[in-house]
Amino acid sequence: MAPSRIPSRRPRAVLRAVTVTAAAALVLSACTGGSGTSGAGDTSGNQLLTIPREDLATFTRNFNPLSPQAAPMTLQAVYEPLAVHSMADAKDTPWLATKWEQAKDGKSLTFTLREGVKWSDGQALTADDVVYTFELQKKVLGGFDYLDKVTAVDAHTVKFSFNKAFSTAFYEISGHYILPKHIWSKVKDPAKFTNPNPVGTGPYTKIEKFQSQSYELRKNPDYWQPDKQRIAGIQMLAFSGNDSANIAFTNGEVDWTQSFIPDIEKSFVAKDKKHNHYWFPATGAMINWQLNTTKAPFDDPAVRKALSMAVDRDQITKVAMNGYAEPADCTGLARTYDKWRDTLLAASCTWTKYDTDAAAKAFDAAGYKESGGKRKLKNGKDFTLDISVGSASSDWISVANIIKQNLAKVGITATVKTPDWSAVSASYNTGTFDTGIVWSNNGATPYEYFRGVMSTKMVQPVGKQATENYHRFGDKKADKLIDAFAAATDESAQREQMNGLQELYDKDAPVVPLFTGPEWGAYTDARFTGWPSEENPYATLGNRNGSTILVLTSLKPVKS
Amino acid sequence: MRLILRNLGFYLLAFWASITLNFVLPRFMPGDPVSRMFAQAQGTMQPDQIAQLRKLFGLDNRPLWEQYVSYVKSVFTGDLGISITRFPTPVSDVIGSQIGWTLLLGGVALVIAAVLGNLLGIVAAWRRGGVLDSAFPPLLIFVGSFPYFWLAMGALYLFGVSLGWFPMRHAYDVGLTPGFNGEFLSNVATHLVLPALTIVLVSIGGWMLGMRNTMIATTAEDYITMAEAKGLSPSRIMFRYAARNALLPSVTNFGMALGFVIGGALLTEVVFAYPGIGYQLLMAVQGLDYPLMQGIFLTITAAVLLANFLVDLVYVRLDPRVRVR
Repeated sequence: MAPSRIPSRRPRAVLRAVTVTAAAALVLSACTGGSGTSGAGDTSGNQLLTIPREDLATFTRNFNPLSPQAAPMTLQAVYEPLAVHSMADAKDTPWLATKWEQAKDGKSLTFTLREGVKWSDGQALTADDVVYTFELQKKVLGGFDYLDKVTAVDAHTVKFSFNKAFSTAFYEISGHYILPKHIWSKVKDPAKFTNPNPVGTGPYTKIEKFQSQSYELRKNPDYWQPDKQRIAGIQMLAFSGNDSANIAFTNGEVDWTQSFIPDIEKSFVAKDKKHNHYWFPATGAMINWQLNTTKAPFDDPAVRKALSMAVDRDQITKVAMNGYAEPADCTGLARTYDKWRDTLLAASCTWTKYDTDAAAKAFDAAGYKESGGKRKLKNGKDFTLDISVGSASSDWISVANIIKQNLAKVGITATVKTPDWSAVSASYNTGTFDTGIVWSNNGATPYEYFRGVMSTKMVQPVGKQATENYHRFGDKKADKLIDAFAAATDESAQREQMNGLQELYDKDAPVVPLFTGPEWGAYTDARFTGWPSEENPYATLGNRNGSTILVLTSLKPVKS
Repeated sequence: MRLILRNLGFYLLAFWASITLNFVLPRFMPGDPVSRMFAQAQGTMQPDQIAQLRKLFGLDNRPLWEQYVSYVKSVFTGDLGISITRFPTPVSDVIGSQIGWTLLLGGVALVIAAVLGNLLGIVAAWRRGGVLDSAFPPLLIFVGSFPYFWLAMGALYLFGVSLGWFPMRHAYDVGLTPGFNGEFLSNVATHLVLPALTIVLVSIGGWMLGMRNTMIATTAEDYITMAEAKGLSPSRIMFRYAARNALLPSVTNFGMALGFVIGGALLTEVVFAYPGIGYQLLMAVQGLDYPLMQGIFLTITAAVLLANFLVDLVYVRLDPRVRVR
């Protein structure tokens, strides 16, 4: 068994061969290094609008809008809705429909379709397509429980009938994408169809050069507003995180991003003051501090209001949110809903204003006295609470920590708990949490918001899965107002209900509203102009929401 | 032969245990895929959509044991189901489209690190106390103990952004069509340099140190003195007598590392936006995509076991003592 009996040539030969190839690979790659990048600085007039997706490492060729994982731009550039709602100016722009009419009783809605709209295969858009789209949606995904039937009155008129008066249905129906019947009725299993070559009414429907990390969308030759198809096409790039996407952006290789850029003035704008811009309108949802109202002492509105007064919202928005958020008032309404806000109420109430002394007094009055620097519960134990936030949200963790410091001033010990979001949201769903930072519903009207924080219909017992109203607070009076709002057909009647809801919110304090989050968006106008901005807020700078189509049809290429 | 058969039996048992764990562990995580998706959408999804998505995905509501039986069946038929985070793409397509890049990146980095590290280790141990021996191990360990993310970002800034020597992202240039031609292959190679280089930098120290230490032990053996006494050339003693015997632990490590290559290099993929399994797995775990998670774990398990089995075979070939047992 001496080592020399085994032929020893081979291992060495293999070793040598491997070394040589490895070295060769290094040399080879070093020689060809530094090849060019995509169209940075291209101003030929044919440049592609380049958009990064920092949240998708690779693309799959799936342009099926029924799938929640449809490729980017499916709902922004390929398929179009009847009307486009912009959260930036709260306006509805007629799109595939030119006008609409609500029935007097609120039980039906009639849309008149635009004449001359064609699918990208040349066929005309008709009322049948709209009817078919909603039939398909109900068959594949369900939902639309209020929708009784959809009928084509004539080739260009569609009537939606409801089983109850439901005026807020307008936003859901008008914002829904429309599919071509002549294509989809032939698809065997629409839920599992990947729709690799989509036929839509949108401006950019032709998919080209589809690779796992990039693809292009080119002009739809039959678009109904050719004068607005000024850019040659869109190029999507895949990134697996903010860092790599931000490098591409600050380098000028992409035009329009929605990824978070820390210290944006210094790291982005300062690099090219003339071209680099951002705009963070406060169109996001209201971010709340929710208190589990199934647990004492959070079932007491006086405690909820006292806790709210102890919170310094200015510090939260300035420090934790980098000054990009707007502090909340006691109507709970996000900035998007300014036109619904009861300004008199907002000016008169105090429970969302930071005042440590008033908070301490309110606690004392409610029976939660302080002794030895610690506030006591009614059973004599120390007043303590946990604040849950998902570990990925570093900004919200700072929010929770500021609340913790604020509460220490009134003698309450808070503990910030930051497990993974999945664990946090599971505790929200089942109602086992103590308190937590949470998002809220963000619809076209405050209807969804109030339903989510005050309706008894959404309250689930602890242990059962809730999908909203995790804090489990309901008020029967709110139910009435919410239903009446949905049934009301004219704005003055709706306003009356909305004022009632704000009054009730001020009385109940169902959650502690903190601030309205911004919608991120930054761009460089070196290659394209016509972006939305504070002066011209026709849409937000989001490249994956409902108003993106407005930006796509407003941009102009820079030509030199 | 009996040895190999015995090993094979052990591998079957290990395979069963690991596929069972693959099935059980993800299901201990809180929540379900749809509520996870809902939480991630943070208020932009309507509650009715939850029911809609459940219907669309056709989520499994059967008892766990029934799910387990059909899962085991699917392992053997290769039908891994449809991914939820990439709905409606089949799991096998998701893995298939990424695994090539993972193998390329991981394989190239591993081979370079292992070969270079072992060579350095051999030479360092042979010239003990020399420049290579005293300067390299501390230096490489120093570099290797940088947080990988930081090192990769640093390399990206220096060589990608500032100097512009290498491309900053992706596996090949945007707009290039994959194909077996010189242009495409050299483009892929250029894109591979930075990601592979950073992995090599952090892993080579371990290989070198391991090899150096075993090598020092072997050079103290009697047969080395004997070989020197016989007047054999130093390089012959170094490679054929000392290094060959010192190589065994490195072979084991290489086998293990080879198996884990399949798991992907998550941080590399994130920094360089390189396609691969790692990010896919992260997404699957975050979205509770059971089918995709099972598929990826299964591939990793199979690869680790296969690599170990191959190492066992190589061992039989390399080390005569194993054959006697």
